[in-house]
Amino acid sequence: MAHAADAKKALDSRGYTGSLIRGDNPLKLFEKPVRDRIIESYYWKEQCFGLNAATLLDRAIELTFIGGTYGVSQRPTPFLCLVFKMLQLTPDKEVILFYLQQEEFKYLRALAAFYIRLAWEKDAEVYETLEPYLADSRKLRRRTREGWTLTHVDEFVDDLLIKGRICATTLPKLNPRVMLEDEDKLEPRISALGEELEELDADDDGSDGEVVEVANGQANGIGQAEEDGENDAEMVAD
Amino acid sequence: MPPKRMTANRDRSHRYFPGKVEYAQDALSSDSENSDAEVSSAHQPAKPSLPKATSFPKDARLAANLSKINLDARRAQAAAQEAERLKREAEARAKEEEGFVTDDDNDEDDGSRREQESGSEEEEQEESTSSEDDVPKRRMPAPKFISKTNRKQHSVPVFNEEELAAQEDARRKERADEMLQLQLEKQAAAKAAGKKDWDDDEEGLADEVDDTDDVDPEEERALWKKRELLRIKRDRDAIESAEKEREEIERRRNLSKEEREAEDREYIDTQKEEHEGKGKMGHMQKYFHRGAYTFDADDETKQLLNRDIMGSRFQDDARDKSMLPSALQIRDMTKIGKKGRTRYRDMKSEDTGRWGDLGVRDRRKDGDHRLDERFLSDGDAERPGGTGANAYAVGERRKRVDDSRDGRRDDKRPKYGR
Repeated sequence: MAHAADAKKALDSRGYTGSLIRGDNPLKLFEKPVRDRIIESYYWKEQCFGLNAATLLDRAIELTFIGGTYGVSQRPTPFLCLVFKMLQLTPDKEVILFYLQQEEFKYLRALAAFYIRLAWEKDAEVYETLEPYLADSRKLRRRTREGWTLTHVDEFVDDLLIKGRICATTLPKLNPRVMLEDEDKLEPRISALGEELEELDADDDGSDGEVVEVANGQANGIGQAEEDGENDAEMVAD
Repeated sequence: MPPKRMTANRDRSHRYFPGKVEYAQDALSSDSENSDAEVSSAHQPAKPSLPKATSFPKDARLAANLSKINLDARRAQAAAQEAERLKREAEARAKEEEGFVTDDDNDEDDGSRREQESGSEEEEQEESTSSEDDVPKRRMPAPKFISKTNRKQHSVPVFNEEELAAQEDARRKERADEMLQLQLEKQAAAKAAGKKDWDDDEEGLADEVDDTDDVDPEEERALWKKRELLRIKRDRDAIESAEKEREEIERRRNLSKEEREAEDREYIDTQKEEHEGKGKMGHMQKYFHRGAYTFDADDETKQLLNRDIMGSRFQDDARDKSMLPSALQIRDMTKIGKKGRTRYRDMKSEDTGRWGDLGVRDRRKDGDHRLDERFLSDGDAERPGGTGANAYAVGERRKRVDDSRDGRRDDKRPKYGR
């Protein structure tokens, strides 16, 4: 594909022949105003020209913050520009998973997570791939419209799964987890806390209302069934 | 020194404009051919000379080297040159004015006068560099005739005004070059530090938010745990509330009809109580709708939105509008006097129907001038016998002649007698 200096042609949706996401040009996942800001920004023009998956990796490593658009003039962040470039390139699944699994670069991980949420169409896959990273508690710097905030990788992933709009884009519709569990496409979520959670539950239930005879030195709740995660209806009945 | 101008404005020719061509006065004057050799050496070329510093560091390493440059030596050198030059000028002037006699200093020693004058020259010269328009306040030395032989003995270069100007310009150029060099060095240093060209925001503000990990592992782990627990709690609460709704629906379904109605009545009663607690609308009180765009606001705003203004009075509000003339008895007092105001008051006054006084219709309005039976409504004229043609019972038949007496048998037509 010839790389034109001004890539506007590639953004024209008429006659688009590349791979489709949800039946349309992948770049359409971003709204028109945001798309325009990205294309006109210096970062896009200088740094995102003629990238492929490998050189994109180089750029992604240099990222120092996430964010959507900021400022009065709605300037896009480099993060957003790189996501846009990824949508233009539509790399393979293996490449994306490789990006996601990089332990060393957390902004690369955030980039891949954002891409997954936008581009992958199977909800169950999205949940399964992203949920392990709810355990990654590293800090991320985030640029908001007015200033800077601190967030974490797990917060960011949680926002991706729950919220409707993040980083200046409206996320495509994702079925709620409960719905997928009811349809048996997914298992209930196993939190990274795991055993600690069970202990906490046990403590809570034991002290709830009923008088429980406790032998000396034993504080565990008596008569509690083994719980695997939080989807236990018996818990609710207490 | 630049020549005096006819206008009184400050002469701004001492300012440096990059790329501006500056002409020495010699070129304009008609005596350019006669100008001295000394002057021609300082003669400004018509084109501005190229800057002494190049814009592009030839070598990438030069960028690093540039940062090591210490300009102090150069500055010291420049300062030394300046001092030397001034000294030379002072000497030259002193020589020039040798033997000049001024009015006030007849009795003073030559040397001291020379010093004074040279000192004052220097000061005045410094001042005059900033405001050269002012007539130099120094006392004009009285000219002394120097014979031809003495004239030729001048070996020290005399700096007249044009040369001074030229030297000033040269100095300014030097300073400008220095500044340019400084700027280039700063840019090179910034580039070396990794600042991107496309990012001209103040990156310094980003340092407020620190994203280094493992500053305090335990605290970070604790925070993460808290977040994770909140997420789990959120999920569980969602499930619980869904469960509760389902239970409620089931329960209602299982109740009998009467029980359901009983519950509904209870609910409505509680609602009514809440409504009663609220104020009642005053007569002809304006209704202020709170607006269609309500959004998730904090508690204070919610309270403001839900406040009850029915029945409350505001400034200039007439409590009893019936005392007002009828033109002013409207709901919205702001519309008084404005064009397009409708005369609508309220529904009751505009209604043309009759409500609730139907009982009046049973009584006869006017007993004397009864309407004919035919024109009475059915309700009025209901008789046990019937209406319309059946209103009257069939009366006695008029007697016919042949019934009552004999005679007139020959008449074919029966006749009714009286």
